[in-house]
Amino acid sequence: MIKPSKWRAAAVAVLAVAVTNVGFLNAAQAGIVATSAIVRTDRDANLATIRDQLDQSEVKAQMEKMGVDAASIDQRIAALSDSELHSLAKQMQDAPAGGDAIAVIGVVFLVLLILELVGIIDIFKKT
Amino acid sequence: MAQRRRAASLVLAACVLILCGCASRGPVMESSAAVELADTPFFPQDAHQCGPAALATVLGASHIAITPEELEKRVYLPGRRGSLQVEMQAAPRAYARLGYPVNPELADITAQLDAGRPVLVLHNYGLPMWPRWHYAVVVGYDGPKQQLLLRSGKVQRQVLSARNFMRAWDNADRWGMVVLMPGELPAAADKERYLEAAAAFEPSAKPKDAWAAFDAAVRQWPDEAVARVGRGTASYRDKDYRAAAADYRAAVQMDATQVGARNNLAMTLLELGCVAEARRQVDAIDSTTLDPRMRDEIADTRQQIDDGTHREACSPGAQP
Repeated sequence: MIKPSKWRAAAVAVLAVAVTNVGFLNAAQAGIVATSAIVRTDRDANLATIRDQLDQSEVKAQMEKMGVDAASIDQRIAALSDSELHSLAKQMQDAPAGGDAIAVIGVVFLVLLILELVGIIDIFKKT
Repeated sequence: MAQRRRAASLVLAACVLILCGCASRGPVMESSAAVELADTPFFPQDAHQCGPAALATVLGASHIAITPEELEKRVYLPGRRGSLQVEMQAAPRAYARLGYPVNPELADITAQLDAGRPVLVLHNYGLPMWPRWHYAVVVGYDGPKQQLLLRSGKVQRQVLSARNFMRAWDNADRWGMVVLMPGELPAAADKERYLEAAAAFEPSAKPKDAWAAFDAAVRQWPDEAVARVGRGTASYRDKDYRAAAADYRAAVQMDATQVGARNNLAMTLLELGCVAEARRQVDAIDSTTLDPRMRDEIADTRQQIDDGTHREACSPGAQP
């Protein structure tokens, strides 16, 4: 009978082996530790290995769902560092997405719209 | 009736704006100078494309000619109708440039402009409950007039009062970035932030570009071990093993706990034929407290030293 903690340790080991090169340089520099692994300030470095792998598939899945062209996904993920991947995996849905072309005039419009919505003014005719 | 209401609402709106404008006091911008980077390119954006447009603007200013359309596939998220900061910062790497997040201070923005670099900023023109995120590029400022100049949306030269700028920037947690050529340091460079940006640049960079980025850091912070490791790794990738060994050795001397540096030094010594010394370096590492990945790397290095394919051929000149 294997205790749950041993199962967990086994799963950790398997995942750790499955991970290749994330955070380390590519095969041409096998054996050289990447500077990102040294500069990394994670407190939970033990979890990093498994996390990186999960982050990558999570970001990939979310990008697919959000309509990113399949050919670009790998390219985009390759540009990200481990900590960037992690923050994307966690907050791709809620992180600020800059997109609207709102100039200063937009601020005036928003003020009017809010006053309208809370019923102070009534300039946007519904009829 | 409707006209009177409209007039009343406009007066009310004007009052709100004036009140907001008067709420804080004193000059917002400390600098008394005026700078305008008039050569900065301009890409009037289509709907939701301010991310790619702003990125093309700062890349253009850094001598990378690219269109917003090409950048769309790198930073635009159709599902969010916008672009995320993380990807905005990562995208320049594909064009041999580093994205460096600025200090969250207006003085830092003006310092970057003084150094000739436009600053890409995130603004929020909405409310906390109802955010409206927008990327724009600051291309100038006027201290005496308390104004900032931006490339924004379809406006080539938007003039914003420092107060209005700060309101929208505050609501976006004051996020901004500059694009750096390898070898360039930002104005008022922050060591940790710069090294993190350089380390994130390393995997996709050509060895020469990574070398330049870390060399700038070594010159700015001569006692910083991470900068030496970065420059050493760039030399290693370029097969300049003597230069690599010198930098790794310096890093280990600066910070004896720098296990990654010691591992890389051992690998480099192996390339130089200094097998015995490589073994000594690896033996100096205490693996018990390391995270599993680093431990695997070191076990791998030890195995390469012991597998017998490397013969001792350490010439006296090989030892830096």
